[in-house]
Amino acid sequence: MTETLPSSLPLAESTPAPALPADARRRSHTFPPEVVAQIQRMADEGHYEIRGWGAKRHLPTFDDLVFLTASVSRYPLEGYREKCETKTVLGTRYASKPIELDIPITIAGMSFGALSASAKAALGRAASAVGTSTTTGDGGMTEEERAASKLLVYQCLPSRYGFNPKHLRMADAIEVVIGQGAKPGGGGMLLGQKVSQRVADMRTLPPGIDQRSASRHPDWVGPDDLRIKIEELREATGWEKPVYVKLGATRVANDVKLAVAAGADVVVVDGMQGGTGATQDVFIEHAGIPTLAAVRLAAEALREIDMADQVQLIVSGGIRNGADAAKALALGATAVSMGVGPLIALGCNSRTYLQDGVEHDATADYRALGTEPGYCHHMHTGMCPVGISTQDPRLEARLDPEWGTRRVINYLKSVTMELTTLARACGKSNVHNLEPEDLVALTIEAAAMAGVPLAGTNWVPGSSDCR
Amino acid sequence: MDTLNAGGVRLSCADLTTREINAALAELPDGAEARIEEPWGRHNLAVGLTNRITIDIDGNAGYFIGGLCDGPDITVDGFVGWSVGENLMSGSVRVRGNVSECAGASAHGGTIIIHGDASSRAGISLKGGTVLVGGDVGHMSGFMAQAGTMLVGGDAGHALGDSLYEAVIYVAGKIASLGSDAKVENLTDSDVLRVKQLIDLAGFDHIDPQNVKRVASARQLYNFDALKDQKY
Amino acid sequence: MCGIVGLHLKNPELYPRLGELLASMLDCMTSRGPDSAGLALYGDDADHQPRMEIFKDVGLPREICERYGVAKRSGYQGIGHTRMATESAVTTEHSHPFAPAENMALVHNGSFSNHASVRRRLESDGIRFVTDNDSEVAARYIAHQVGHGADLGDALRMVLKEMDGFFTLLVTTATQFAVMRDSFACKPAVIAETTDYVAMASEYHALASLPGIGSATVFEPAPEEVYTWTR
Repeated sequence: MTETLPSSLPLAESTPAPALPADARRRSHTFPPEVVAQIQRMADEGHYEIRGWGAKRHLPTFDDLVFLTASVSRYPLEGYREKCETKTVLGTRYASKPIELDIPITIAGMSFGALSASAKAALGRAASAVGTSTTTGDGGMTEEERAASKLLVYQCLPSRYGFNPKHLRMADAIEVVIGQGAKPGGGGMLLGQKVSQRVADMRTLPPGIDQRSASRHPDWVGPDDLRIKIEELREATGWEKPVYVKLGATRVANDVKLAVAAGADVVVVDGMQGGTGATQDVFIEHAGIPTLAAVRLAAEALREIDMADQVQLIVSGGIRNGADAAKALALGATAVSMGVGPLIALGCNSRTYLQDGVEHDATADYRALGTEPGYCHHMHTGMCPVGISTQDPRLEARLDPEWGTRRVINYLKSVTMELTTLARACGKSNVHNLEPEDLVALTIEAAAMAGVPLAGTNWVPGSSDCR
Repeated sequence: MDTLNAGGVRLSCADLTTREINAALAELPDGAEARIEEPWGRHNLAVGLTNRITIDIDGNAGYFIGGLCDGPDITVDGFVGWSVGENLMSGSVRVRGNVSECAGASAHGGTIIIHGDASSRAGISLKGGTVLVGGDVGHMSGFMAQAGTMLVGGDAGHALGDSLYEAVIYVAGKIASLGSDAKVENLTDSDVLRVKQLIDLAGFDHIDPQNVKRVASARQLYNFDALKDQKY
Repeated sequence: MCGIVGLHLKNPELYPRLGELLASMLDCMTSRGPDSAGLALYGDDADHQPRMEIFKDVGLPREICERYGVAKRSGYQGIGHTRMATESAVTTEHSHPFAPAENMALVHNGSFSNHASVRRRLESDGIRFVTDNDSEVAARYIAHQVGHGADLGDALRMVLKEMDGFFTLLVTTATQFAVMRDSFACKPAVIAETTDYVAMASEYHALASLPGIGSATVFEPAPEEVYTWTR
């Protein structure tokens, strides 16, 4: 038995929707659409958000500082001709073989596991070409990375995944990682989908399981015991290699002084804008202090204990360009370290990737992750549309290592040129001669954090000094 | 440096710095013997060595004894501090006394033999090494141990094997409590054989291999699942 | 972050050697705390009443012991501390031991994570502080409880409930010598006991030269256990 369906009803004459009144889309500052979406997600999933990348919220940054370049009272160096030295030496306190870099810009620790082997190798080759160092990460040293990097810093992390005294001796410097700017006080994280057989073997764990690294070292707790640990690392390497101590920026003044008391040659301070392969979003956005504040506190701490000439300071966390580097150096850093910037140069968040000489569009793959080129923070998934933060051979093939190497070289050179351009304009023939007095701030926040005067005034908020 | 006997050397902490002692040890050829005298709690003795030598430490020593070693056989006649045999790769460290916390932390290989008691967190983060304790172990022992074997001849403190991965812990005495994701499993014939081999290796004579408990991971924390109410 | 030593003598024949033994123990802990050092020494005065004296200063333990002639001092009990300052200044006032009440002294190795709140509660009860050191908070908290009738062991157990973080505490009164570690027990502690004495230190190193140490019972205090010895 069939029933004849009524023929489709004639459409009502279309009437335009009434225009919304002006206050219909009033955005809530407390519950804006992003927060509504986050709450909905928590209600769906029942746990915190885990993601990669660094802090996305607005923070006081180096952009809020400007240089007082030369004019009449000071004389600039010829911007395109006169030499501006960028050579940088790290580890002069105890190490018999300090690290000598051609530029004061290093590549921060990023693990094989978080990144593909070819991404690590491309970073290493680029760093070697411009005369700087790369750093291993949680998961140990790969042969590719050691071969690619002329100067390789070997991290000693709480997890000790793949930590091997043979690799310790093969390294050019040792970095004892106490914390990371993205997650100070927290351990690393590598979700099961990125734990391939090779990654698993290096970390002595079964493939496919979530790796939640420890937040404290297994064999020492506190600066008094760290002092003994650092001696052990030096004894095992004949007192040759500089020992860095890396801190997530929180109680910076105390921590820097304690790292020095424990025997560090170099202190690395990573501000809250620092990136990560995967951690809790709540950590990324709500723990630690901005790099701008951290660099001043760290430099001041070294001066207070009269160690600024003996212990070098490396600053990281959201360093993007030569202006950031110049400002960090002016505030007291010996060098800066970059992670996310070089990844972007490699192609991270790019709309396209180059495979077999042909440019392919990856927008659909970003969409599949629920994001778009320029907004992606999905390193934790291992589904990197451009083959950088993945262990999937199909995706890894999307990163052409030679192409990536050239791009990172270009990026590092450009950053260095920006840095020397600013330094020359300030009348410096050596980038290490930049000083806090070369800077003023555009906002009261930046003035207070950096300890430099608000532009056009001699007012340094929080300080009784005027200049 | 005095000659001990054929090929042997004596190194006294009363005369030499830690650096001098370790440098002298590192230069010895495979098969050599060395004796470290008057250690008086000295830290970092015999660390980072790769030669297959025999070292006797004649008294109590400090932190990280035998740490980062890949080859030598070290014996301590006394008590040692934290993290003995830390990150050991191969060879052995034998302590004829008690040890402090974190014995064998992150050891990737080799054997750590403790005739007395071990304090808290023995075998923490173990990555393939073997930790044999004749006496008791303190709380949180075997914490996050990834691979390798522990044998406890006495009792184990609270939270044994918390967040264990693939390491296995055998306990002859009582277990105060198990940590998250640790469970006692049935002892198989191969476990009994393994324990017998470990007892022989250590030279312990007070453990019945048929009568130990096998503690291993319940593997419930391997992948995060919010709906299981995991302690994450 | 520091080194701790303590000695509680049971055998009066050792009383004349108290300062000498403690000074040597303290010297062993120099590398754990090179900023400042201090001791509290307990002896009987001319009227056979217990009397505690505190010596503390900025500098190396050996220099400080020489400055105050510690090695020549006698007594029945003493504690000492070498300091690697974590969050507060390096001054004599900030050095340990802290003496929150008559004949009470405390030394601490570790770091409390909620000391500011406990300090505020104590201040609202009228307790006055001299420094911003977290260890002073523990000292005044314990003294406050003892002042309200708690015995030392109970006061220490209340520290476990009230104060968060990592700590190894050594507390003495005219009659008692007490050791306690937090639930994590991450800061080192070793105790050695013979018929002649009880000795405590952050590392075995500091105990190694005590007379008769070879036959001592040596153990590490378990987490959250209060160990007390009474004269």
